[in-house]
Amino acid sequence: MNTTSPQISMANIFRFLAQSMRYPDAEWFNEDFWSVLINLLEELQWQEDKAELTRVKAGSKDFLEDVQIEHTRLFINAIPHVVAAPYASVHYKGDGTLYGIIAEQTKKFYREKGFALAKESDLPDHIVYELEFLAILANEDPEGQKKFLKSLFTPWFEIFKSKVLEEAHHPYYRVVMNLIDFFTREEL
Amino acid sequence: MSFKVTRRKFLQTASIAAATLPLAKVVSAETGFVRDPFTPPGSFEGTQTVTGGVCEMCFWRCQLVGKVRDKKLVKLEGNPKSIDNGKSICARGNAGIKLLYDPDRLKFPLKNVGERGKPVWKQISWQEALDECGSKLKAVQEKYGSQGIAMFPHGASAKYPMDFFEKVVGTHNVSEASFFQCRGIRDSAYMSTFGVAPGESVDMPNAKAILLIGCHFGENVHVSHVKAYLKGLENGAKLIVVDPRYSASAAKSDIWVQIKPGTDTAFLLAIMNYLVQKDKYDKEFVEAHCVGFEEFKKGISHASLDWAAKICDVPAKQIQEVAELLAANAPNVSIHPGRHVSWHGNDFQRIRAHACLTALLGAIGVKGGFVKAKGVKVKGISWPKVAEGGEEHNLKLMADKYHFAPPGTPTELIRDACITGKPYPIKGCVVWGQNPMQTIPNQQRMVDSLKQMDFVMCVDVMPTDITMYADILLPEACYLERYDYIKTGTQWNFADKHQQYIAPRMPLVDAMFERKDEVFITNEIAKRMGYGDKIPVNTLEEKINKELAGVNLSIAQLKKEDGIHIQDGKDPYGVSEDFEVQLYNEDLEDNDYPAVPTYIPVEEVPKGFTRLVYGRSPVHTFNRSQNNVWLHNAMPVNPVWLNDEIAKKMGLQEGDEVSLVNSEGVKSSSKTVVKVTPGIRKDTVYMAHGYGSRNPMLTVGVNAGVDDQELITKMTIDPETGCNGMRNNFVKLVKDGKTLDIPA
Repeated sequence: MNTTSPQISMANIFRFLAQSMRYPDAEWFNEDFWSVLINLLEELQWQEDKAELTRVKAGSKDFLEDVQIEHTRLFINAIPHVVAAPYASVHYKGDGTLYGIIAEQTKKFYREKGFALAKESDLPDHIVYELEFLAILANEDPEGQKKFLKSLFTPWFEIFKSKVLEEAHHPYYRVVMNLIDFFTREEL
Repeated sequence: MSFKVTRRKFLQTASIAAATLPLAKVVSAETGFVRDPFTPPGSFEGTQTVTGGVCEMCFWRCQLVGKVRDKKLVKLEGNPKSIDNGKSICARGNAGIKLLYDPDRLKFPLKNVGERGKPVWKQISWQEALDECGSKLKAVQEKYGSQGIAMFPHGASAKYPMDFFEKVVGTHNVSEASFFQCRGIRDSAYMSTFGVAPGESVDMPNAKAILLIGCHFGENVHVSHVKAYLKGLENGAKLIVVDPRYSASAAKSDIWVQIKPGTDTAFLLAIMNYLVQKDKYDKEFVEAHCVGFEEFKKGISHASLDWAAKICDVPAKQIQEVAELLAANAPNVSIHPGRHVSWHGNDFQRIRAHACLTALLGAIGVKGGFVKAKGVKVKGISWPKVAEGGEEHNLKLMADKYHFAPPGTPTELIRDACITGKPYPIKGCVVWGQNPMQTIPNQQRMVDSLKQMDFVMCVDVMPTDITMYADILLPEACYLERYDYIKTGTQWNFADKHQQYIAPRMPLVDAMFERKDEVFITNEIAKRMGYGDKIPVNTLEEKINKELAGVNLSIAQLKKEDGIHIQDGKDPYGVSEDFEVQLYNEDLEDNDYPAVPTYIPVEEVPKGFTRLVYGRSPVHTFNRSQNNVWLHNAMPVNPVWLNDEIAKKMGLQEGDEVSLVNSEGVKSSSKTVVKVTPGIRKDTVYMAHGYGSRNPMLTVGVNAGVDDQELITKMTIDPETGCNGMRNNFVKLVKDGKTLDIPA
């Protein structure tokens, strides 16, 4: 069956997952986004996740701020320490600092496929960029997508995901990690 | 979670329509990518050399070049054009890359939605962060007056905001750690003696003898300074090192004076008295340039060799030997002024003695002596002085104390006002590049000061301990990512061709994330406080260009010149006829301070304790570099040096893990290891400063080693300057939970 428009496409899925990992602000982390997320969980029959998210949201005084604080704690700066910086080179093939070998390899891969980051000073191995790039590849280069997943994405994402799942306080990022995992795993 | 649907099934399910999941409608229109036709390797894979870097891993500011590959900084080196550090940079300079790419670095503006000291951070926009800083500081100013705002600045980037708060907002309550907990006493004491701040201006390469009081070059590494020192030794200079510890410098010395801490002034007085009594001083120089010699002579006449020997716990013969060696090599002797000199709360008098001894030996303006380089002056562009009001809220004048304080307000006067609300409340605090938790003694007083504030903001590159107390925490671009300070100077060896250089800091790479520079941040706060019309420059680049225009240069020109402009210099030797040395200082007398250098005893070590002294590690710049993964691996903890005989009596061995507790019952939060050595006095322990951070956001440096500052709780204040003395605290060691007395 054709999976392109108007049906769901993997490109749109990856764009959605990339969006879900951006810093949440009112401009996009709104009822429309939420409705799509909940419907996605419904279609996937992830009833427990859907129920937990719905319950936590209903019980929150300021759901957006809760997710913002959790995002900051997990991915930016936090006490006692940032849980999982969302960059490949912090977790894989290096000494735990930014812009390590895998970041350079990732940037090279983008270039070889004819793309570059719009802001050159940004780090190429941020999870949002990698998911956006998977969206591009999904449309244009399925073989490239497989290669990118295997060699550059999955190895570090496995480590990253484990850290987030272990230490996340908020169900939103647990669900997002599982969604990314679900849609990027090689064999299902 | 149960996986009831596979990905394939999910994607193939006909019922799933775009109408149910309008994914494309809830994502951003733009991605982070642009199409960029592939260019074959070779054109972009080469490494480019970017010039214009000026290091800030410490304060010496060596000139750098960056090796940049595809927008990534891969290596730092000394700029080969430099006549200062040359191609050399130190371990810290090399490790700047690991600061740049440290994942713990601050990246976005953060708001504390928890409490001070136990923060819960939320990323916010710059707009929101600046609105909050501007409105909260304005509210403090309107309610309590400009004096209700205090500032703790440090580093090149803090000068522009400091000028804003002092000159435009109008608060006197600015306290720089580099003055009040470091070198301010030195500058004030030399100003009161020579009329000029000394810097480290001794001509060591051309000296016949060098006297170091506590300086430990080799552990304290400033590249061109160490070059000058080593050149002097290479040229045959005799080296005298006065230190309770067998430091890296002591290891190269001809005479090592293992002095009792706190007694250095007595040592210097005895030398000066000996020189005067034996007619071994430079009569011609004293007659031509010195004021108050007779009063001075009388004032130090009690300081016999035996008197000093008893106080200093060193042989009288050794003091005599030092005096003779200095006299024999005069006037070509370097009496080093020191750098970090806030030791015991009697330091102004000691540093005055450095200057007076230099004068007695006639070691001014001559080869090997105290010689100020003749560098080029680049006038800074900053805020205009527009604040109304004079000195009515100046805490220093209100207290009628510390009449010889360096610029700014002594830290303890600010903290007193914070804690007591008297003589007026201080309710707003700006911390910029300083970490007062690890630079100022008695951390509880800092915590108490911050907790009572209405608003606290911090600007930094790293989440240091103080940032845990911020309401708003702003990420600053680091020295590799911004324009900034214009470094000027001369060739380091005056025996070489006289040259001057001008080297502005220029970015080697673009700033990542949302880090901003000091001009942007300060200007935006100024606008929100109603001072938009006073803004002197719109960007940091504009500021540097305007400053360079004053010497007929520009950033574009400097780029053409590989980052450093070099021009002919001037011979620095000689003394002007009107140069005056105040051996006896009437202004001091008028303010009831000793007018002639005077030894003021410090508290003796209580039974069962030992004195804690500290110094520098060659691979760290205090806590600033603590989280640097390369430097951490080079020296992960700061061993506590313990005399071998004492260790034996205590049953301690090299490498034993210990914590420390001080005489006021304050325990170190973390542990370190014991270094057993004959190279330290029995009544003293030593450790490198700047370890044991307690901010867990520093994932590498947290709890690595012991924070000596945590144990420095006993307050001693230098009466002339108001600076903190920090070596008057006494400790015991704790092993396996058992507190061990230190045997006599």
